[in-house]
Amino acid sequence: MEDQEILAKFRDPASRNVAFNQLVRKYQSKVYWHVRKMVLNHDDADDITQDVFIKVWNHLENFRQDASLYTWIYRIATNECLSLLKSKRRKFLLPLTDITAELTTNLEADESLAGDEIELKLQKAILTLPDKQRLVFNLRYYDEMPYEQMAEVTGTSVGALKASYHHAAKKIEAQMNTD
Amino acid sequence: MNTPFRLDEHRRRPQPPLAPPPDRYFEQLPMRVMQRVQAPETAAPAWGWLAALAAPLRTALASALVLSGFAASFLLSPAGPAASGTSDALAQVPRQELMQYLLASDQRISLTDLAELPGTAQSTPAETYLHASPDELQDLLDLQPSDEETYL
Repeated sequence: MEDQEILAKFRDPASRNVAFNQLVRKYQSKVYWHVRKMVLNHDDADDITQDVFIKVWNHLENFRQDASLYTWIYRIATNECLSLLKSKRRKFLLPLTDITAELTTNLEADESLAGDEIELKLQKAILTLPDKQRLVFNLRYYDEMPYEQMAEVTGTSVGALKASYHHAAKKIEAQMNTD
Repeated sequence: MNTPFRLDEHRRRPQPPLAPPPDRYFEQLPMRVMQRVQAPETAAPAWGWLAALAAPLRTALASALVLSGFAASFLLSPAGPAASGTSDALAQVPRQELMQYLLASDQRISLTDLAELPGTAQSTPAETYLHASPDELQDLLDLQPSDEETYL
């Protein structure tokens, strides 16, 4: 079902639930993996994914279609991720390195990475990036999202995003080439 | 010598190699989300009338509630907590110490004053503070050196 059709059906109270169900089915995987790459652990990713769709439900009626539905949902998911990471830091009063340590532990516990030393090292290097830079890196490197779309998701200029990705890549390469 | 790592030469994966979510997670997720969005709607009728009110009316109602809360807490708060606090504090002072304090200076209380205590009304401060029976007071007075000659 196309986004326009979903939106039209959502506005009709009789077909609202069906339309929303279609929307969740269409975007759930993208949202989940976008979130999971940031928080790494499934439980946090599950909580955030559900919260994202509840926000979508609450605000979809007022969605003005300045951006595509996909970009708008990504933006909500991005903000939710950054909020969770920020609140975790504030809640535990931990410095940046400690929340990174928690994420690294999640990463090391992940069975899919067992035995792949280079990939594990790469993932650990990505984790050393500040949250927003890591987000930019994930959107570009893994999702291959165009910079223009990334600008809509993050509310940042294309130039700033290009610079951010470039710095992130250099930091990761430097990290990978140590010892 | 190892070749330096370059990100654009590294085999790019579509996703970081993280473990997949539990089985049938994506099949169940839409239903779980629907349950969560519909739960507040079924619970809404009790407060639904609030949403139907105009915004200024809601603000006025909220202000009235806050003000009546303040008024109620002011009216219902117990009066004179300081007085009862003082009585409690004095009740905790040992009787012996109180006696010594009262008898230490003529300007505070005299033996004559104390001698009159058993016959005074219940509101007498010494009786309230000392919690002593007339017999106890009389015994304590008898132990004090007599100064009757000053009245002779």
